[in-house]
Amino acid sequence: MASRLTLLGEGAEAKIYLLEVFNTKLIVKHRISKPYRHPLFDKLFRERRTKTEARVLSKLYSSNLPVPAPLFVDPFNSIIIMEYVPGKKLSDMIYQLNKDVVNSIAYRLGEYVGKMHRLNIYHGDLTLANILYSKNIDRIFLIDFGLAGYSTDIEEYAIDIHLIERSINALAPELSKSFVESFWQGYMEGYGENAHEIKNRVHEIKMRGRYVEERLKKRLEHERYR
Amino acid sequence: MTIVIGIESTSHTFGVGIVQRNDYGIRILANEYSKYIPVRGGIHPREASLHHAREAPRVLKSALDKAGISIKDVDAIAVALGPGLGPCLRVGATLARFLSSYYSKPLIPVNHAVAHIEIGKFVARFTDPLVIYVSGGNTLVAIQRKKRYRVLGETLDIPLGNLLDTFAREVGLAPPYVVNGKHQVDICSEWGQSFIDLPYTVKGIDLSFSGLLTASLKYAEKIKAREELGDICLSLRETAFDMIVEVAERALLLTGKKEVLLVGGVASNNVLRQKLDTMAALHGARYEGTPPEVSGDNGAMIAYTGLLLYEHGTTIEPEKAFIKQRWRLDEVELPWLPD
Repeated sequence: MASRLTLLGEGAEAKIYLLEVFNTKLIVKHRISKPYRHPLFDKLFRERRTKTEARVLSKLYSSNLPVPAPLFVDPFNSIIIMEYVPGKKLSDMIYQLNKDVVNSIAYRLGEYVGKMHRLNIYHGDLTLANILYSKNIDRIFLIDFGLAGYSTDIEEYAIDIHLIERSINALAPELSKSFVESFWQGYMEGYGENAHEIKNRVHEIKMRGRYVEERLKKRLEHERYR
Repeated sequence: MTIVIGIESTSHTFGVGIVQRNDYGIRILANEYSKYIPVRGGIHPREASLHHAREAPRVLKSALDKAGISIKDVDAIAVALGPGLGPCLRVGATLARFLSSYYSKPLIPVNHAVAHIEIGKFVARFTDPLVIYVSGGNTLVAIQRKKRYRVLGETLDIPLGNLLDTFAREVGLAPPYVVNGKHQVDICSEWGQSFIDLPYTVKGIDLSFSGLLTASLKYAEKIKAREELGDICLSLRETAFDMIVEVAERALLLTGKKEVLLVGGVASNNVLRQKLDTMAALHGARYEGTPPEVSGDNGAMIAYTGLLLYEHGTTIEPEKAFIKQRWRLDEVELPWLPD
């Protein structure tokens, strides 16, 4: 049995194994204990994240969004077994893709994220490393919902988008402008009505960052014309 | 041989540092400072700037004496023009503009955040680290890319140092905020026995401390015994530090860096250092903190960064050297960073 488990990779908080049963590929996600965390906190922490992830995955999967289907959950040992989805991390391969493909990915991503937010779910860690892309079937999958949750507060949705924008900015600044534009087109489609509210909030979050020059200017203008 | 003098006055510290580049490398000749310590409450910008104006000539002279040089031997004057508190920045900028025009020395504008990172890299001998910058004014994770420090994640509201200081002040532990190199929250944590579940807010590589602060203060209102305050301090510190370490870990795996560098005022905290060291070891990365002499605000880091800028030909006319209260780390292009 153990020989059929192969370590695929290690994320920040979990080990990911590939498991083969009856010629079916499965993914086992095991949240590991961290030596730097306070022991009492560590247990609580892993249990909570495992439960949330399973709950969110099942909701998204049943709503036809491209996420792996959760098949088995053991919160006490912080294990989730889920469907295997193909693809490589977008963060590793974005440099190899041409601009049109990147824009098409961004559009679809925007659409899926919009639909997810419509279900009152936020991802909480929406970076290029948590998006898989398979060249062969030209499909993307969203993974790693450990920081996800349910909320009706548009702040959470806006933070998702803020994170993806910053992720592309940090990893591929030259692609970021057209990526963000395509993403928003898709998002408008997926989220539907009132998507501009989220767009405004994303801008607001950016202005909230430490030492943003534009923020100061805005305030000065406001005071001047009052 | 090049000698650069650096002036720091962004916040509570007025500092003057002197560095020298000769054939053997770069050496810090002097690093003198005077710290403004509020009698009660937090930093009052005007009070702090008055302190700086009072102390500036003395600190400058003692730095020159320590280095054994006169101002005429200096090749360039570097000054931290931001980000920071306006009144405080103006003291350093005024002094630097005067020195530059009176002695006809080139003036070099230095970003305070860049200086923190560069001095950390210099001391640790790192070339391409994942930077964790934690201080009273900043909490962020950054990497080098395309000639700049790119911010991967940062606090969405208050910085870590601010969280610890505000809590300590509101519950009556501070000022003084730091006693014998230990923060009041750390001292208070030693009384703690049990763990309270406090808000833990990580959003990808971003984090938020304001909910944690409010919740901790609410608990603190209800306590009856000293031990209970210890529990809150312990839980607050553990939660806040675990958040930082988790964010650092995410960034480390995202970027695959092999060096982890902790810089900024809170970098002198032993508990945080240990946690980050443990985390880096898990992923086979080297960890280095910044020694206390150069982790807090100081003039040497401004002088060192000024030297690098000077060697790459970055100077500014004194009449154009305005202070920048808001001057983000990622706005500054640095010629020595890789593409």
